[in-house]
Amino acid sequence: MNRLFASLLLCGFIIIQAFAAEEKLEDFQVDTSVIAMDRGVDAFMNSCHGCHSLKYVHYRDLASFGIDKERIASWRGDSTLDSAMTSLLSDEAALASFGKVPPDLSMIVRAREGGASYVYSYLTGYYITPDGKTSNHFFPLTRMPDALEISTATDPVKRVEIIEQAHDIVSFLSWAADPHEAERKSLGYYVIGYLIILTVLLYNVKLQVWSRLKS
Amino acid sequence: MATRIIEWIDQRFPLTSFIKHELTDYPTPRNLGYWWNFGFLAGFVLMLQVVTGLFLAFHYKPDAAIAFDSVQHLMRDVNYGWLLRYMHATGASSFFLVIYIHMARTLYYGSYRAPRELMWWTGQVLLLLLMATAFMGYLLPWGQMSFWGATVITNLFRATPFIGDQVVVWLRGDYAVGDDTLTRFFALHYLFPFLIIGAVVIHLVALHSVKSSNPSGIDLADKDNIPLHPYYTSKDFFGLGVFLILYFIVVFFFPHSVLEPANNVPANPLITPDHIVPEWYFLPFYAILRSVPNMVGGVAAMALSVMIFAFMPFLDRSRIPGGGRYRPVYRIMFFLFMLDIAVLGYVGFVPPTNKTIAIGQVATVYYFGSFLLLPLISKVEDKWLFKRGLPAKIKTLIASEEEEKRKRRHR
Repeated sequence: MNRLFASLLLCGFIIIQAFAAEEKLEDFQVDTSVIAMDRGVDAFMNSCHGCHSLKYVHYRDLASFGIDKERIASWRGDSTLDSAMTSLLSDEAALASFGKVPPDLSMIVRAREGGASYVYSYLTGYYITPDGKTSNHFFPLTRMPDALEISTATDPVKRVEIIEQAHDIVSFLSWAADPHEAERKSLGYYVIGYLIILTVLLYNVKLQVWSRLKS
Repeated sequence: MATRIIEWIDQRFPLTSFIKHELTDYPTPRNLGYWWNFGFLAGFVLMLQVVTGLFLAFHYKPDAAIAFDSVQHLMRDVNYGWLLRYMHATGASSFFLVIYIHMARTLYYGSYRAPRELMWWTGQVLLLLLMATAFMGYLLPWGQMSFWGATVITNLFRATPFIGDQVVVWLRGDYAVGDDTLTRFFALHYLFPFLIIGAVVIHLVALHSVKSSNPSGIDLADKDNIPLHPYYTSKDFFGLGVFLILYFIVVFFFPHSVLEPANNVPANPLITPDHIVPEWYFLPFYAILRSVPNMVGGVAAMALSVMIFAFMPFLDRSRIPGGGRYRPVYRIMFFLFMLDIAVLGYVGFVPPTNKTIAIGQVATVYYFGSFLLLPLISKVEDKWLFKRGLPAKIKTLIASEEEEKRKRRHR
């Protein structure tokens, strides 16, 4: 049945080729440290939260991740620790200003092909067209203004700052979309390790049982 | 004490004789390879889905207004809710993978041939039930792909002659996929596993009546059979260990590979996703659907592409036992058929262009051709092999099968 594997491999190869043909995204590595999360929430609250909600994330979730309670208090204002991180912008006001209700960002990293790499490429993908308009390399039809102001930043130091900010925001949004990722992976190593030992033992049981048969 | 309890039970219920007859004395061919593990694995995955599904149902709300939120609640706030959901979603894909391998083994070794036709047909019913269950389960997270997938597939029932429109409304419970559809799909998604379990019982009763097939394609003499327990139980459990390692690698490290990104956006009847793709296990059939330009024809072709497997016992006319092992032409046909399914899967996956549509049409014709030409090809192959002179090994096999049949008649 080796040819079966060969044809399956071929099929897989064709599918990989199909993916590779898409637009090149910036490769993004999520920073899962508390300090990056802290900076990410701060940048998010300053640049995104005015319009975008995180309705599935509660302020208490930030605390259970390990972020300082006083920092959280400075972000949440009058909202309680148990309330969701919803934006104050009403849908009507958003429609009036942007012609569109800004999407909730709780799942944004999971809801786009390319995941975190896409969101990061998008945030840093703003540029000024030759006729002076702001556009985006990855989503030309976007209605969102260049919130991080990367398209107008010419100073290299400022650009690096913005890119770092985008990095922190996307790291935070990756956590928001999949808050149990770290726990999942660390548990995964134990489960797989346990199963490998179990399977080796089961293989030996099988060998021993079958050795009773005379050929 | 223990013996007395068992005695007490045995006077009222055939416990010991059942274990003896179906496990410790149940004869199984000793030459089965690892491809024979997949029936047991399918049963295991079924149980896994029932158990994880039960716990998911504790938290899920089949209401269009809150279904998506209830899944998020499960994923974020319920202890190990994420694990349950990833196990269930990965389990669905694994179920199809295991079943497809199980079917491929049956086709390769000709296990569908007499006297195992009823096993093949109950298996066919199980495949249909599995497809229906998976399709209805996919609606429940109420994401964009859930909604639009259900819309596209229920719409296909418009092809029903005369009453097409009524059938679609009857299935959806509304003119469009909506809250009523979600609630009934949840109820049916919970019901269908019980139908599957019932069909599995019939499948197993048939198995224990005709016994397992084996790579040689003939029923072996008694001396070549070994008891299911402990030989094949130990082999099955080792196979299960390997399966679980692969399964949990996906669950813990790549769970998003079985969840479409567009399904993380709540269902919105006003916005159609750019590219509606079914789950990987439906792709070849979806490609066949799209290969026929006319809708009714496409639906008929798709339905036939699933159901045509049931005709295999009639289509294969060879007198040589089994499938690919002693029949070179059949073997080549099998591998080309697998390749054809891979091509159809690819065509179903990519957005349609003129080129992929043409490839899909050729692959569709080849798909049906390999069934429809099988009676002729198997006859010609049979004649050619007999004319060339059968190898001594096959002659011995055929002779030993005749001998077995004669003995069994005398018993």
